[in-house]
Order: sequence, then C-alpha cells, then structure tokens
Amino acid sequence: MLKNALLTLLSLAIAIGGGGGSVWYALKTQDGVGAIRIGQWTAFPDIGTPAADPYSKARVAREGVLALGRAEGLSFIAERDSGGEQLLRQCTYTIEGGFPTARFWTLYAADQSLGVVQTGRARLAALQSYQVLRQPDNSVIISVGSRPAPGNWLLTEGAGRMYFVLTFYDTPIASSTGLSDVTLPRILRVGCNA
Amino acid sequence: MRKLLHAILLGLLGAGIVHIIVLLLVPEFSERDAWSRLAMASDLYKMTRLDAEAGGAPVVKSVDPLFYAAACRFDLADGMVRVKAPGNVPFWSVSVYNRSGHNVYSFNDRSTTGLLDSVVLTPAQMIEVRKDLPEELQGAIFVEAPIDEGIFVIRAFVPDDSWKPTVSRFLDRGSCELQDF
Repeated sequence: MLKNALLTLLSLAIAIGGGGGSVWYALKTQDGVGAIRIGQWTAFPDIGTPAADPYSKARVAREGVLALGRAEGLSFIAERDSGGEQLLRQCTYTIEGGFPTARFWTLYAADQSLGVVQTGRARLAALQSYQVLRQPDNSVIISVGSRPAPGNWLLTEGAGRMYFVLTFYDTPIASSTGLSDVTLPRILRVGCNA
Repeated sequence: MRKLLHAILLGLLGAGIVHIIVLLLVPEFSERDAWSRLAMASDLYKMTRLDAEAGGAPVVKSVDPLFYAAACRFDLADGMVRVKAPGNVPFWSVSVYNRSGHNVYSFNDRSTTGLLDSVVLTPAQMIEVRKDLPEELQGAIFVEAPIDEGIFVIRAFVPDDSWKPTVSRFLDRGSCELQDF
C-alpha cells in the first residue's frame, strides 16, 4: 500500500516537475520555433503577432515584449561569429558586407537580456546607417571593440557574452516573401584580450 | 521493478501533458506582460515614456537604444481613442497591440503627410463614424481593430544626441484622448 502511494507520488513529481521545468527551459533559450536564420543572424518575423506559435506567445507574455510591427521593421539577433564561436565582449570583431533595402538600420551590442551594453562612457554601443562610412560598392565595414578604430567603430566594453542586434526599419524584407533572398553581413573575429 | 518503470513512464506522459497546459496558461496568468507593466506605471489614456531617458528603468524592455518610445493604454469599450503628436522627427512608427501584447496594426510616417494623427476604433464604431465624419477627423488615420483593451505605442528615431530634445518633445507633447462622438 505504502509502495503504491510512493509510486504515485513519483509519477506526479515527474509530471509536474518535468512539465514545468521543460516549459521554463524552452522559454529561456534564444533559439526557438518560428525562427528564420540568415547566416549568423536570427529573426522571429511572427513574434508578437496573433499568428505566432504558443512558445512565442508565452515568451511575449512572460517578458512583456512589445514586438515591432511589420510596417515598423524587423530585428535580427546574432549570438555567434562566422566561425561558430559565441560572441564575447572582450573580443574585437569586424562586421562586413552588404545590407538589404531599408529606409535605415541600427546596430547595437547587447547583453544577455538584449538591452544595450553599458559602456560607462558618453558613446552608445550603437550605430545607425546614416552615420556609417561606405565602401565604393556600398557595403559597410564596422570594427567592434573597446579600442577606437578608424572607419566605423562600434564601442563595446567589459567581458562576457554579447549579442548583436541589427534592426531594419521601414523595409520590404519584413514581409515574409522578401526574406528568401536576403544576405546579411558577416561577423568575423579579429582577436581577443585574454 | 516493473511497477517502478510503469510509474516513471506514466510520469513522463504526465510531464508532456503538464508542459502543454502550462505553456497555454502562461499568457493567461502572466503578471509581467506589457499591459500589466504599463498598468503599474500609469493610468489609462496617459502617454508614458518607455525608454530610460525619462528617468528610472524602462517600463517595457527591448527598445532600440537609438529610439525613444511612448505608449498609452486604452479601452475601446469606453469609446474611440485619438492619438496625436505634433512636430517633425526623422522617423516615427506606430503599433497598436491588443491586451495580450500582440501586434494588431502598425504604420509609419510614410502613410501620412508627416503629422501623427490617428484614431483607434472598433468596426462597429467605424460604421457610426462613417455616417457623418466630423470635420476635425478628416485627416486622421483610422485604425479599425476588433479589440477592447489595447496599447498604442509610438516609436521615434534619434539619429544622434542633437536630436534628443526634439524627439523628446515630440513624444512628451503626444496626447492620447477618449474621443467623443
């Protein structure tokens, strides 16, 4: 009798613990259902719309996100460089390549919660397309690091994991058909402060 | 031994069911969604800045650092709501969200002459308004949304520091009012 009760208790513990824990884990990971990957960049075009999957809906409710609308823009997040390594704040990177059609774009270095990296200086860890210098073929080369660099420089500071968030505003690629032949810039690791 | 295996299998099956139930219930019972956060910060029909610039931690997170944003909550059951913001800024865009934070409509400054003047209403209210369109609503953008409670968000681009006062003024002078009809 006691054995049966213990077994029932075990089943219940696995069901509630496992069920709740797996939801918590699924909502914590950055990758998810409904993601579109282009190179190292990931976007969730459906997040924050009534058409989103249950995981995105739960994430929106839990984190209080107000996602950009289709007519506003589309955000891409990168957490790894072209070599497949995680982005780190103590490393320097080069972001280079062409950018898809948009009225303008912004790029910023983000921490784990996707807020902008606090640099402790007057300069924001963010760039936008009106202020960047372009190559003759209209592509852009951006140096990322804590030391000033010639050309376009995105300031980062500190140590630990980092994400790049690239947002295109008023862009045709936000409609789902536009996403098929989009290329985004590559993220190349230059070196790291040990 | 077989009984133990049986119990574990049953537990795993239960875990699957609990997973689905919890996932579907999270949006219903969340007290951390955008609406609840805004409700803690301010009243209905009151423009609230979402960026950290206004002082204190941002109310709703994940706003582009090169953007300022403001939001107001409304309830279409009380009547239609009119949102206006005067002034010229490099770029603004607007999203209307429903109670659970899902985007139901969005537009940007290309859709108008540049001035932000918009009315959010339900389809039923739209029919009433169409019968006799008041003079002062002629130029407004009508957003027909089949919702009751909702959030209206204005986002404005700040290209560099020199634009900060202008963009701040644009958002601070924005109004969000219950429109009599």
